[in-house]
Amino acid sequence: MLFRPRTVVRYRPPCPLFRVETQMRRFSTPSDRIILAMFLAAVLTTAGLILVPVFHAVQLSFYSSASFVGEATWAGLENYRRVLSDSDFWHSLRVGFVFAGFAILFQVVLGILFALLLNLPFRGRPLVRGIAVLPYLLPTIVVALAFQWMLDGSFGLFTNWAMALGFARPAWFETPWAALSMVILVSVWTWTPFVTITFLAALQTVPKSLYEAARVDGANGWYRFWHITIPALAPVLTVIVLLRSIWMFNKFDIVWLLTKGGPLSATEHLPILAYRRTFTQFDIGGGATIATISFLILSVLIFIYFHFFPLDEKEASR
Amino acid sequence: MPKDKKGLFPSVSRRSFVKMGAAAGGMAFAGYAPAVIGQTKELRFLNSEPSRDSVAVLDKAAAAYEAETGVKVLIDSVGPGEAWQKLQASIAAGQSYDIGSVLFSAHVSLLADAGRLVRLNDLIAKHEWGPRILFPVEGNNYWYPFDYNLNWIFYRKDLYAEKGLKVPETQAEMLANCQALTEDNRFGTMHPLGSNSATQWMSLGYMWANQVSLLDDQFAVVVDDAENKPRMAAYLDFMKDLAPSMPPGMTQASFAEGLAQYSSGQVAHTPYAGRLMEHLEDRAPELVEHTGFFTYPSADGDLRAVNHGYDGWVVLDTPMAEESLKFMEWFTATHYVDFLHSAPLHFQPPRLDIYEDPRWRDHPMIQKHADLVAFMRNLLEDESILIRSVDTQGPTVDVRGGAIFESMAVPEALQNRILRDMPADECVDACAASLREALSR
Repeated sequence: MLFRPRTVVRYRPPCPLFRVETQMRRFSTPSDRIILAMFLAAVLTTAGLILVPVFHAVQLSFYSSASFVGEATWAGLENYRRVLSDSDFWHSLRVGFVFAGFAILFQVVLGILFALLLNLPFRGRPLVRGIAVLPYLLPTIVVALAFQWMLDGSFGLFTNWAMALGFARPAWFETPWAALSMVILVSVWTWTPFVTITFLAALQTVPKSLYEAARVDGANGWYRFWHITIPALAPVLTVIVLLRSIWMFNKFDIVWLLTKGGPLSATEHLPILAYRRTFTQFDIGGGATIATISFLILSVLIFIYFHFFPLDEKEASR
Repeated sequence: MPKDKKGLFPSVSRRSFVKMGAAAGGMAFAGYAPAVIGQTKELRFLNSEPSRDSVAVLDKAAAAYEAETGVKVLIDSVGPGEAWQKLQASIAAGQSYDIGSVLFSAHVSLLADAGRLVRLNDLIAKHEWGPRILFPVEGNNYWYPFDYNLNWIFYRKDLYAEKGLKVPETQAEMLANCQALTEDNRFGTMHPLGSNSATQWMSLGYMWANQVSLLDDQFAVVVDDAENKPRMAAYLDFMKDLAPSMPPGMTQASFAEGLAQYSSGQVAHTPYAGRLMEHLEDRAPELVEHTGFFTYPSADGDLRAVNHGYDGWVVLDTPMAEESLKFMEWFTATHYVDFLHSAPLHFQPPRLDIYEDPRWRDHPMIQKHADLVAFMRNLLEDESILIRSVDTQGPTVDVRGGAIFESMAVPEALQNRILRDMPADECVDACAASLREALSR
């Protein structure tokens, strides 16, 4: 049955974690206690390393300070008022959405395409699969430097190729739209393999019998993809899009290394704006406010995303 | 709590709890004691000149000082870009460095205002200094400079001779020379155009030569007033005309591109300081004798300019401040010249006595390049040569100078003019708005 009213969905399979909790509750043996102690230590360490900095960043957003060595003064909501009325903030927000949106779109579409191709049987498939993952294994700094050299306006490999083909010398990073396009392109090149390997792994879990049955019923490849592969892998796809969205919206390193937010702030998204305000522009409260707002925006988007694509319902509908 | 010897949480009596607390307190005290009570005489020095030669000089000086006085000096070297964050972090963590390198006048001001610095008035008063280098805060000197970091233009004398060109007296002549020298795979000049420090050090000399002021003596923005706007617009128009004579990729260019493009023969001019000559000696010695230098010309040729950079040390107000001052007094008397020799042509001495010091003059590079050294010395004396930088605009050293530097308003004015072809007047207005915005934060 394709349609199931929400009120009917009552059944929840017994949660394995719940069973573990019931068994562990007594902590009667030394090994139980060791497990509990290690669990608590991990939770406390994680909370300390995540919650404390987040709390501190939010706290800083209510203060005004030019450096980390001087006295911070209470500013209340003034930093929020100032940031929200700052055109740089809205510009950076737009840049962030454009950068993240296009990067995710291309990463997901190309990632799925490559996964489907790598799922086909062909000679040398293991080798090609290994090569396809390589960009994801490279450190970001290596990727940035390699692309900077290849796209150098004077002696870059791609520059020379373009000129050899009779094109004018390309201005890879010289115009705002070109710089943003290059940053998106490099991001897609680097992180598409993550989508590919995740989707490829998930493809192995789709029962072959479904495809065979569809083939018997006369379904073509496109139909099988849309009506078997995508629905079967929807939860994985949901997680992929979610993770890529979080990572790309917060992506600092590749943009900073390639363009430092320029030219003309064309690639200056919220993480770079927050960094510049905090660490170079003597506005720690303003930078913390931008980071906090960015965190809130992302949280709201994730909430909306899960509202429309809930993982458990997808699992239930499989 | 039941006693369970095998369990992880044995019962703790009050007595053992007190004992453990006392032991922990004792250990904590013992750990802290050497720094505060025992005075083990250990100084921590944050160095932001990480080149092998500079670090070697500091290490040698630290060893000599320890042998002489018993005080250990730990040298911690980081890149120039990380020095300020590391210094701040050390202070915020309660483990401040005792001596630190500072590369930005606004940082001196911030540290002094926060009461983190020790005055160096007596140390500074021992010598005569060049112009615009001490940056006193409310009449007190808080930093000890070791480098002027002035920026001028190097050019290919052989190419000038080949084309029958002369050293430009005006910006129009500079433009004509660069156009004449742009051919095939060679460009007339390079000037970084990105929103970065390199642009503000290597591309603004013509603006200063045009006598542009960004701020007045009240820290008010004046770049768009009746006097400055035409000068600034003329500078932007000149840079727009000059851009076709530069290699592509100037928005990505930084300091290293100046060295690489000139030494590889890709450009006929490059802005830089003495490090270019050191680089040529090392990587392209054939270009050394063909390289000349001049300051940035103005539009009408009546003034010239160089862009300002600078480096120096501060003494932090730590429990070891007294020892730090003793070390600085010893170091600046005995090893200052050695440190300058670690980049003999690049570290331009701000102390005027150094130029006459035979120890400094004896260095082979300084002897070989006596003409360049004389040129550098003259920059400090010739009143027709302006020494300017964005961060030292305004009546005194202040975080506001740093704020307008980091706003990148001037690089963005260049980008608006060159990349967007925005009319110069509008570029100046946008620049002024950015500067005011930065000052209002």
